[in-house]
Amino acid sequence: MSFAFRLGVSTLALSIAAGSAFAQDDDFWAKAGEKFQGVTLRGVTEATPPSNYISDVLAPEFEEKTGIRVEIETTSWDQMYDKAIKDMEAGTGIYDMVYIEQDIVYAYLARDFLVDVTQTLADNPDLKAPGFDEAAFTTFADYFRGENGDLYGIPMEAFIKIYLYRTDLFNDPEVQAAYKEATGNELKPATTHEEYTQIAEFFTKWGEDHDMDLWGTTAQAHTGHPASWYEYVETVAPTFGVYGWGIDPDNNYAATVENGGTMNSDEAKAALKWWLHMRDIAPPESVQSTWTEVATTFAAGRAAQGLVYGENAAWIASDDSKSRVVGNVGVALPPMEDGVMADAESGAGYIGYYDGGAFGLPVTSKNQDAALLFLQYIGQESVQPGWAVAAPRITHTATYDDAGVQEMNDELGGYYDMLREDGKLFAGAPPYPFHAQLREAVAPIFYDILTGNIDPDSGLDQMAEKTEQELTDLGYRQ
Amino acid sequence: MHSNKLGWLLLAPTLLVLFFFGVLPFIYVVYVSFHQWNPFAVNPDMVFNWAENYRRVVFDAQFLASLGVTAAFVFFAVISELILGYLLAQAFMKDFPGKAIFRTIHTLPLIMAPIIVGSIWKLMTTPSIGIIPNLLDSWFGYNLNIGQSAIAAFITTVVMDIWHWTPLVTLTLIAALVSLPPDPFEQAQIDGAGKRQIFWHITLPMIRPAILATVFIRLMDALRTVDEVLMLTGGGPGSATRYVGVHIFKEVFPRTNYGYGSAISVIVLYLTIVVCWLLYVFLIAPRNKKG
Repeated sequence: MSFAFRLGVSTLALSIAAGSAFAQDDDFWAKAGEKFQGVTLRGVTEATPPSNYISDVLAPEFEEKTGIRVEIETTSWDQMYDKAIKDMEAGTGIYDMVYIEQDIVYAYLARDFLVDVTQTLADNPDLKAPGFDEAAFTTFADYFRGENGDLYGIPMEAFIKIYLYRTDLFNDPEVQAAYKEATGNELKPATTHEEYTQIAEFFTKWGEDHDMDLWGTTAQAHTGHPASWYEYVETVAPTFGVYGWGIDPDNNYAATVENGGTMNSDEAKAALKWWLHMRDIAPPESVQSTWTEVATTFAAGRAAQGLVYGENAAWIASDDSKSRVVGNVGVALPPMEDGVMADAESGAGYIGYYDGGAFGLPVTSKNQDAALLFLQYIGQESVQPGWAVAAPRITHTATYDDAGVQEMNDELGGYYDMLREDGKLFAGAPPYPFHAQLREAVAPIFYDILTGNIDPDSGLDQMAEKTEQELTDLGYRQ
Repeated sequence: MHSNKLGWLLLAPTLLVLFFFGVLPFIYVVYVSFHQWNPFAVNPDMVFNWAENYRRVVFDAQFLASLGVTAAFVFFAVISELILGYLLAQAFMKDFPGKAIFRTIHTLPLIMAPIIVGSIWKLMTTPSIGIIPNLLDSWFGYNLNIGQSAIAAFITTVVMDIWHWTPLVTLTLIAALVSLPPDPFEQAQIDGAGKRQIFWHITLPMIRPAILATVFIRLMDALRTVDEVLMLTGGGPGSATRYVGVHIFKEVFPRTNYGYGSAISVIVLYLTIVVCWLLYVFLIAPRNKKG
């Protein structure tokens, strides 16, 4: 038998097998949807590229296959939480699916807001979709498992907050020569805060000298929005060795150095001062920037480098209708202090923020079985590659090897490779069930630091004390 | 007797709606305000704590500061809207080319949702990108950055409120001016009164009820401003524009401090009633006595 013949037969066999699998799948969805005709599922999520893909592509596909109508409400981050929490708290059952960002899952689990997906599928085998397999998820899914190891949310996005830089500027011989002359160093992506500062200062001055709208770095430094607090505690502080927001849950939730916490440690103070300096040499809109505006600032070509949420990396690097830096984006690990990488490798710390979210099923939903079908639909391996190309998120191990994803990986300067190989060095938010409560308690002090009303050192002292007081009031700290 | 019954019958639907959507929620808020209740605390249940929340409000520096900036905001916004609204109403009483178009454009902000107004002003004031900082920079060399300057942020929120609500004042005062009888004005002119005298002694007293009604409406609205400010500044920079409405929102929703947030809401409602009562006592009641 010739090689060509064997290849042909194998291809034919694979095609028949795949075709029959798809037909089997379609049969399942059509049959499963039969008893839910007339049902309309309602979901609420943040308006992000991955969520938009659900409402624009996956929901209509599901609707076509099952006949179950799906309405996905995409709204702002604040509104999304406001609506979801109020619905689950009051038990109104408006939503059948809610977006669960990784940092709030602990609060939802503590309040028993969510249905145990693993258990429910085990109890109702007729609802189990053939293409859905919990084992296919990356380890990011572990963030959405309860203490019993069961899944309480179907991961729908996962990305890391990365260091983006402009390759056109970094590879420009004229810029390289000027940088060498100004600093004595070669121009390359920074690995330390000192290098990052040097590059940022150089490009801000370069922009001024050449009358360009160019600055050395981005800064997510809104003076009235939690985005600035998150950039500091989840992205900057860990690279200085301050983990878990500087709170020690094993030590009675201590935050002050005096009681064993690190929120006002020397490392935390150095981190905050470094970041404030970056803010000062970032584009002027930075003081009004949340995560979205940081991405648009970078996409507009106004910053030479920056720390940007990975969910925005794809459109920044490839969508020329929205980005001016298409083809000129490089990715690297964030700059860090000595010892942080060793901490991350040993599991004692992490180098940045691994963000993402899942779709969960509220216990208050009135259409739980139908919603469970939809959650499995978006959790199937077969829908992942298209989703990953449209929005840079990967939740399944096999998605990394897809040809389309590999192609996108090249356009993104190796972002997916970094996610696969170095994702383990990043971490999600600490497992506290009081994120928003604590954040809102200390945020006014943090905003006062940003406006200069309080100096960073005493501001962090006040924040640490306020944290302990708030956690005492909430009953977590004894 | 018959007409009395019919009157109550006709009023009944409105009273029912008011009871279920106004009175009952208010009673619930007062009830919650006497409890410690944060569903994300270790104990998520409501715990009766007497008037502890009200005691806390009195010593809450953040709340007192927000009350201060709110008072300043209300004062500058309402006074400016009143003056500007009156001038525009007078302008619309005369004929000029393009009056109809101008009046339509002038009224447009009124039909916009506050969240849209906030978004528009955010786009217009973002440094480097927004049209307002660009114009101020090229005309006066002034660098407007509402994310950095507390005063600039405060003034911008006041200007945004004026932009949004002046048309309401204008329309109300136009209605009042149009309904004025011509006789007193003609008589005053015959007697040789000047424009200023006519304004102070005839126009102003005659449209006084309309002005006071507008002030009451705008005062109560301005005191509960939330959406547009939240969208524009988020209450920042720092706490510069954290008006009481924004403060209550942040306390109740993201922080889920339901008990304490309810107590603040009740106090703010009480203060609003007191302010309106003071206005009534000093501006309306003396006038009524004079008959």
